[in-house]
Amino acid sequence: MATTKLGFIIQRPGYKSENQKLALTHAIASQSVEIYLDDDDEVICDVAFTGDGVLNCIKDQKALENYDLSSTESHIKMGLLCDLNILVCKEDLEKFGLSKSDIVIDAEEFGADVEVKVVPFEEINKMMDDVNHLLFF
Amino acid sequence: MKLVTFVSDYKINVDTLDRLKPEKLGIVLVENGVYHATTKENGNPSSLLNHSADYYVLLNDLETRGLTADDVIDSKVKVIGFGDIVDLIFNDYDKTAWL
Repeated sequence: MATTKLGFIIQRPGYKSENQKLALTHAIASQSVEIYLDDDDEVICDVAFTGDGVLNCIKDQKALENYDLSSTESHIKMGLLCDLNILVCKEDLEKFGLSKSDIVIDAEEFGADVEVKVVPFEEINKMMDDVNHLLFF
Repeated sequence: MKLVTFVSDYKINVDTLDRLKPEKLGIVLVENGVYHATTKENGNPSSLLNHSADYYVLLNDLETRGLTADDVIDSKVKVIGFGDIVDLIFNDYDKTAWL
């Protein structure tokens, strides 16, 4: 059985480009590739928001109302629904004066079982160490 | 020259804004430029707010990012809509720039 681990690092704010949504979409899509894999193979994805990228996680985004765009917030919630391990750098949140209460944490309305984890960068470093492939956005 | 400048990035890699010397300068914070109006890094507001200029921030782009008019940290930044931007361009400034 082979497990391939992917790590997506989102380090820039969203909307100016589609980068952050691409990262999340790729991570979500990776959970549907099983039909192309051998029976015992699997792909596991972690997503981490660092640097200015933590601004993507601010909750109550009204992208749909203002621009008819799906929000980064909804992409994060879809990621939770797919049981992705989503990490947000604690130090970078604090740098912007933000806390856990300011960001998207769960997707209960969609029935997601997992939550976004606010963790020290050290833990994100460990994740980056653990994965087979790193992708920066 | 009466110049209105649209700032659409949070991290700007060019110093054009520092070098401009118009007789009247307006700075409209749009897209990711809105973070200049709402965000402090390590407790410090954005240095972009230090110019001698009239400041505006687009409400639609604040809301898109989960922010509101209440999140604007400096009262000199006026929260406006698209209609106000049109009025600024046609009534108050000769030229526009996009940074």
